[in-house]
Amino acid sequence: MASKPECACGDTSALAGGKKRIIFPCAGTANVGLISNAAAFQLTDEGYGVSTCIALLGSGDPGLKRRIAEADEIVIIDGCPATCGAKIADLQGVAIDQYIVITALGIDKVYERDYTEEEVERVVSAVWEGKGRSVDEATISCDNPESDRDSGCGCRGNC
Amino acid sequence: MNLMKIEVLGTGCMKCKRLLKNVEVAVRELGISAEIKKVDDITEIINRGVMLTPALAIDGEMKVSGRVADVKELKEILKG
Repeated sequence: MASKPECACGDTSALAGGKKRIIFPCAGTANVGLISNAAAFQLTDEGYGVSTCIALLGSGDPGLKRRIAEADEIVIIDGCPATCGAKIADLQGVAIDQYIVITALGIDKVYERDYTEEEVERVVSAVWEGKGRSVDEATISCDNPESDRDSGCGCRGNC
Repeated sequence: MNLMKIEVLGTGCMKCKRLLKNVEVAVRELGISAEIKKVDDITEIINRGVMLTPALAIDGEMKVSGRVADVKELKEILKG
C-alpha cells in the first residue's frame, strides 16, 4: 500500500519551497510599518520563512550574519519608498532576493495604527506570488529631487 | 483544442491554498483558458503517487511537489 503523502506545511526549511528564507519587515511605526510586521508574522506562521528583527540586522549581529549566509533567500518588506529596510540590508552588505514596498501595492501610508486583515493579506499574497523578485530601483529610491516635494513615502522631504 | 487541465493536489492546508491562488494569478496574467481543479481527497492524492503536498499537475503530469511555486515559475510551466 502506498504511504500517506507528507504535507510541506509548517516546515520552514528544505521542504517549504525548497528554500530557507529570512523575512525582514521594516517595522516602522506608521500603518504600513505595522502591516510589514503583521505580514512577516503571517508568512512565518504559513511556513514561508522566518521573520527576523531588522534592528538586529542593523546592529551588525554576527550570529544573524551567519544565519543570513546559510539562508537561500532574503526577503525585505518595506512599508514605504523611504526604503529603510533595503538601506539597512545594503549597509550590512546583504543581498536581497525579494523586495516588497507596501505602498506600491496600493496601500496608503498614514500615521495611524489601524490596518485591516485584507491589507496584510495583500502583502502576504504578494510575497507568496514572488512579486518582489524583480527589484525595480526606480520604485524604491527616494534619493531624488522629487523627495523634497512629496514622493509618496511620507518623509515630508526628510529622506 | 483541449482545455488545459490544472490540478492542485493537497488536503486543504495553507500552502495548498497559496499554490492554488498563485495558479489562478498566473492563469489570469497569461490570459489563457484552463480548468483549475483542487484535489483534496487523500486517497486520490495517494493514488496519484504524490509523496509531498502541495503538488501541481498539468494535464495529468506532475510538475511541482512539496512546495509553493511562485507566479513567475508557474507562468513558465504553463507556457510549456
